[in-house]
Amino acid sequence: MDFERSDTQRALLDALDTLLGRYAGTGRSREPAARGAYDHALESELRTAGFLDLFGDDGAGPLEATLAVERISAALGAVTPVPHLLVLPALGLPAHTGPVALAAPPAGEEPGPVRYGAEAGLILLAGADRCVAAPLDPGQAEPVPSAYGFPLARVAPVASGQGAELPPGTAATVRGWWRVGASAEALGMMRQAFDLTVRYAKDRTVFGRALGSFQALQHRLAELSVLLEGARWLVYEAAFLGAPAEASAVAAAHTTAALRRLTRETHQIMGAVGLTREHDLHLWTLRLQALRAELGGMRAHRRAASAARWGAAAA
Amino acid sequence: MEFAFDEADAAFRRDLVDFLDRELADGWERSEFGLGSAVHTDFSRKFVRTLAGRGWLTPHWPERYGGGGQGAWQHFVLGEEMWKRGEPRGPQYMNVNWVGPSLIKYGTEEQKRTLLPPIARGEVFWCQGFSEPEAGTDLAALRTRAVRDGDGYLLNGQKIWTSYADGADHCFLLARTGTVADGRRGISVFLLPLDTPGVEVRPIDGFVGDHSFNEVFLKDVWVPRSRLLGEENKGWDIVRRTLAYERVGAPRYARAALVLDGLADWSRTRGLLHDPGVQEQFGEARALCEAARLLVYRVIDERAKDKEPSPRANQARAAMVQAERAVGDLALDVMGSEALAEGSRGDAQFRNSLGAGIAAGSYEVQLNLITRLILKLPKE
Repeated sequence: MDFERSDTQRALLDALDTLLGRYAGTGRSREPAARGAYDHALESELRTAGFLDLFGDDGAGPLEATLAVERISAALGAVTPVPHLLVLPALGLPAHTGPVALAAPPAGEEPGPVRYGAEAGLILLAGADRCVAAPLDPGQAEPVPSAYGFPLARVAPVASGQGAELPPGTAATVRGWWRVGASAEALGMMRQAFDLTVRYAKDRTVFGRALGSFQALQHRLAELSVLLEGARWLVYEAAFLGAPAEASAVAAAHTTAALRRLTRETHQIMGAVGLTREHDLHLWTLRLQALRAELGGMRAHRRAASAARWGAAAA
Repeated sequence: MEFAFDEADAAFRRDLVDFLDRELADGWERSEFGLGSAVHTDFSRKFVRTLAGRGWLTPHWPERYGGGGQGAWQHFVLGEEMWKRGEPRGPQYMNVNWVGPSLIKYGTEEQKRTLLPPIARGEVFWCQGFSEPEAGTDLAALRTRAVRDGDGYLLNGQKIWTSYADGADHCFLLARTGTVADGRRGISVFLLPLDTPGVEVRPIDGFVGDHSFNEVFLKDVWVPRSRLLGEENKGWDIVRRTLAYERVGAPRYARAALVLDGLADWSRTRGLLHDPGVQEQFGEARALCEAARLLVYRVIDERAKDKEPSPRANQARAAMVQAERAVGDLALDVMGSEALAEGSRGDAQFRNSLGAGIAAGSYEVQLNLITRLILKLPKE
């Protein structure tokens, strides 16, 4: 057991932070019109620097890839880090240029709106047992207007039999790494929103004293810190273990529970200013709501955790 | 970062599990209720000596004080396996987790020589004399007095909620050597033999398990100066450290997780586990138990690296309380009136969970410390 970052991990994340300082961040996320919604330049830089190969790298691995997903998301990097850094390599599929969509629609149904769907050229569909990797025609996608940070679109019919059916068991691999990855994304964003709120609570004066000196708020932030820390280590452990069904579902269940609570508390403590476009809080909290929907959300993660541990009827 | 036990600790766990399977096969009735009950404590007295004989009572202590010189992880593996089985060491876990380590860190050579070996051999029980009728969560308000008297001190006052005092040999006792106005700067630690004249123990009838609380009355109790731990008026530093150990010393999440597994078995045989709402509640509780486990592991990692106790122990403790409560609530929600039957799994967990946020510093005190030491929010 070792809860400290290794020298390799530190060096890796420092290098990633430097890259993200140039190709991500709040400023860049506010002006996507100049580059298009998806940040191809960021993806290209990540690829060139080797961050998309961490999963299978001898000196790194899935945990390092997960830590990178967390950082990219915290910096609002406009790419699809979960399929690129985790799911594609876990399936042994070749790298893909441009956004990749993930979906797990109920049998016979089309997926709901997916992130970067209007630009995605590939979708991975997790079925009951097998996963299908299907090409997408961006021209057929139907953009869905949304306030939640990510460009969403309904993707063109993918259930019509096209695409390669991957071997048995691949759906579980996709679900496991998707849960770990989406949770890592949430961790990165939650940490930013939380830190912003704690700073605000220290600086903002109300009734002649610091907002954060009121115990009614202090205990809520303290409980939130317990949830966030718990989620963080659950996600790292699940990644270290290779995203097995139980650990990844448990991590996602706890992370989405934290996400719900964090959204309410940060916005309540920040007050009306947190509801403005000018303030940065929404850059993270609105995107977080999109993560909340993935793979059925908190209730589905909890049922999956239960099923994995005790063999309850699958969700 | 690494989330696996090293081979030595994993091998130790395997040996320990084998040993416990054999040793507890006869005469040990596992029960979430039992800790502190008379029958439980009687079993413990014999069991801890067997454990000591194998060097497994105090494996983490230095060898010169009767320990095995092993690391913090091995000690913790021991705690996990014991709690999973209802803690057959009984009140001994307090001795080995924090009374002994406090003596090792702050005791005089004479105190170590006389007091540590009986603990390492499993011959004595200690209890913790902290809370008073008007000083529980607000511990620094304690009023039990210790006045210098010849070559010792005269103690007068009252302790309350003192677990195991009815069977303990010694008490790790806090008393005020300064004035009340000195607050935490006027407190000292005494290592009081409970058979000292003037000590009276009265049980309090509680309903959290068979374990009884006690009141301890101190009337003109004389204790020699050699039983003062550390310096006079410097007891608070020892307490802070002691509490940091105590907060995560008992891996309560391990018991909660085990009870949850049992509740899942119970629910499955009755077809309840098909209910999506029940599945969700189980998944939520499992996640809380697992989060608590990792937050405690993080504290053990700091300890294994010889770092000073950190406020992360407060986060770990808060997470354990949340886990115990979630499992207790689930038990009553899922088991229905079966949970009301005395001694049922649900009954035991629920009643235990009522005390979870009170012992070892209340849940709210943990939150206060997180606020101040981790978030660094301003005081009122």
